[in-house]
Amino acid sequence: MHCRRPAGLLGTLVSAALLSGLLGCSQPGGDSTRIGVITSLTGSQAAFGAAHKNGYLIALDEINAKGGVLGKKVELNFYDDQSKPDQAVQGVSKLFDQDHVPVILGSYSSESTKAIVPSVIQRQVPLMIPTATADNVLDSKSPWVFRICAGAGDYARTTVEFLKSSGAPKTMAIVYENTNFGQSNMRAMSEAAKAAGITLVAVEPYEAKSPDYKAVLQRVKQANPEVIYFCSYLLDAGTLMRQAHEVELNPKYYTSAGTGFAAAEFPTPKGAAKNAEYTFSVSQWLPESRWPGAKEFDAEYVRRTKSHPAYHAIEAYEALQVVVQAINVARTLDRATIRGAIRNLDLRSTPFGPIKFDANGQNQHPVMITQVLGGRYHVVYPADVADAKPVIPTPPWSQR
Amino acid sequence: MIVFFQACLNGLLTGALYALIGMGLALIFGVMRIVNFAHGAFLMVGMYVSYVLFDHFGIDPYLGFIAAGLFLFLFGQLIYRFLIRPVRDRSDFMQILMTTGIALILTDGAQLIFGADYHQVNIPLVNRTLRFGAFAATAASLLSFVIATVLIAGLYLFVTRSLTGQALRAIAQNIEVAQLVGIDVTRIQGLSFCLGIALAGIAGGLLLPALYLFPSVGDDYTLKAFVMVVLGGMGSIEGAALGGLLLGVSESLTSLYLGNQWALAVDFAVFLVVLSLKPSGILGRQRT
Repeated sequence: MHCRRPAGLLGTLVSAALLSGLLGCSQPGGDSTRIGVITSLTGSQAAFGAAHKNGYLIALDEINAKGGVLGKKVELNFYDDQSKPDQAVQGVSKLFDQDHVPVILGSYSSESTKAIVPSVIQRQVPLMIPTATADNVLDSKSPWVFRICAGAGDYARTTVEFLKSSGAPKTMAIVYENTNFGQSNMRAMSEAAKAAGITLVAVEPYEAKSPDYKAVLQRVKQANPEVIYFCSYLLDAGTLMRQAHEVELNPKYYTSAGTGFAAAEFPTPKGAAKNAEYTFSVSQWLPESRWPGAKEFDAEYVRRTKSHPAYHAIEAYEALQVVVQAINVARTLDRATIRGAIRNLDLRSTPFGPIKFDANGQNQHPVMITQVLGGRYHVVYPADVADAKPVIPTPPWSQR
Repeated sequence: MIVFFQACLNGLLTGALYALIGMGLALIFGVMRIVNFAHGAFLMVGMYVSYVLFDHFGIDPYLGFIAAGLFLFLFGQLIYRFLIRPVRDRSDFMQILMTTGIALILTDGAQLIFGADYHQVNIPLVNRTLRFGAFAATAASLLSFVIATVLIAGLYLFVTRSLTGQALRAIAQNIEVAQLVGIDVTRIQGLSFCLGIALAGIAGGLLLPALYLFPSVGDDYTLKAFVMVVLGGMGSIEGAALGGLLLGVSESLTSLYLGNQWALAVDFAVFLVVLSLKPSGILGRQRT
């Protein structure tokens, strides 16, 4: 086999690369403003990515009906990170280096979000985080990073406050997925529990995607905690509750850091079905929340998808609304000005409650506690927004 | 103490499925010496076949696994004839390349057709827990265990008692002499390959109610299958089954006493310890 002359081949490759590079670059300006969105449309977190997308699209239609931003229609450039952090990082490159978006929203999970933070800081593009709750995504304290949802620290503190006001249990076990989300929620709860005088009798990490968590749950059962705090995504939440039933694990309270335990599918047959009953979860929002526009968002979401939204959808909705508002206030697509505009926002009434970002870019969002009763989520804490009384202690499995 | 035995029981229930996977690879790697890095991908294909039958036709996975096995047996004929046979006598490296390529195509193909989403199957059996005194097991895992045991026993009888099975073992012992004795090596190896991946597919179908389904679900199992085969002894089908049960129990006990995050590490630790004490594996013989 002879080698062909490499020069000809090389020349063709280089021209092809240049050409595709030129074609790939989109023109800034034009007749619509593009905003970049990274989320998990496929992969293990696809259910949450779908919630994101629905929320974003509802906001998009509302925004464009009101004239868009700076007189132009808004277009969303979605990038699917496939629930993988390395893909999310590639998304930043595609959205900013190629598509030249002025601002990026996303991603879904704490793992992917933490991965993209250095990329957006390096490129100096504002990032609005809708749902990642790990506290370390704001560790960089960069002025370019904003988060609209409450974080793991707030989850833990609110859960502990709720526990103190409803029976004051003394012992707790934390069962968490061995990822950024799980670890950071575990750390946050460890601190909050210690500060409140609750003893941690078991702290159990688990590797997700296992068929069998019975041994982990058995270890927890042996420690005999009054409270269990789960940090899991949807599929594991279903498996964990099913196997908790199997090993007859009966703490007084099943609590959780939301996410899998707060997903819309969790109380349905697609999730844990009847095994979800009586579980507590933190929540950032419910359709019954008494914020103006919450009911309307719920109605529109039901109209489009035939199911009620969980808080992940409205966080995406509000994230886009906030970003567009900031661009309108800034009157420019200059990224530093947009960043300043976001920082100065003080929205008193949105469907997601008041929006104001502190010096770290964190929005001070209140956290609620919900319980699954009769197959639906009900707010049980704090009392001024509750719509049901909590059922405590959790009835043992054999009595259900 | 009860907790210890319950963990052993859980380990055996999972281990029986592992044993199916391991025996499948033992037929391919142990007997044919084909380094099959696509074993987990075939398991994934079996899972998807069962899932499609359940989702579209409402066929219970505990019947669907039969279809998964048959599908993979026939699929295996094509794969063996066109992809495996040409590399059968080549170096291990070629076989690794070929089977890795097959695995990639299968995994990405599944992603193209079904998307990267995760799927879960909820059947009533999975939620029915049977209790025997102080011990408990879901009806689903018990059924899987019974089916797996029947298949393992059947395979063992096939390999030891039937003429084809003995031909298989003859090839495993010494391929040249087997040819001299008049065994149709190509046909038997083809059969062995198809049977091997059919077993992986059946294991996939039986795993479907317990685990969730996504295109790369099989990757972890490929590695575990190799561990089982080498642990059990090359060329020994029973050894691979034993290896599977051993891994299942060790993972369960490790999760109970040390924590779930150590399970995989202990798997490999056991592997290293057994091999350093008995390099030919638990039931392996020195090759002539």
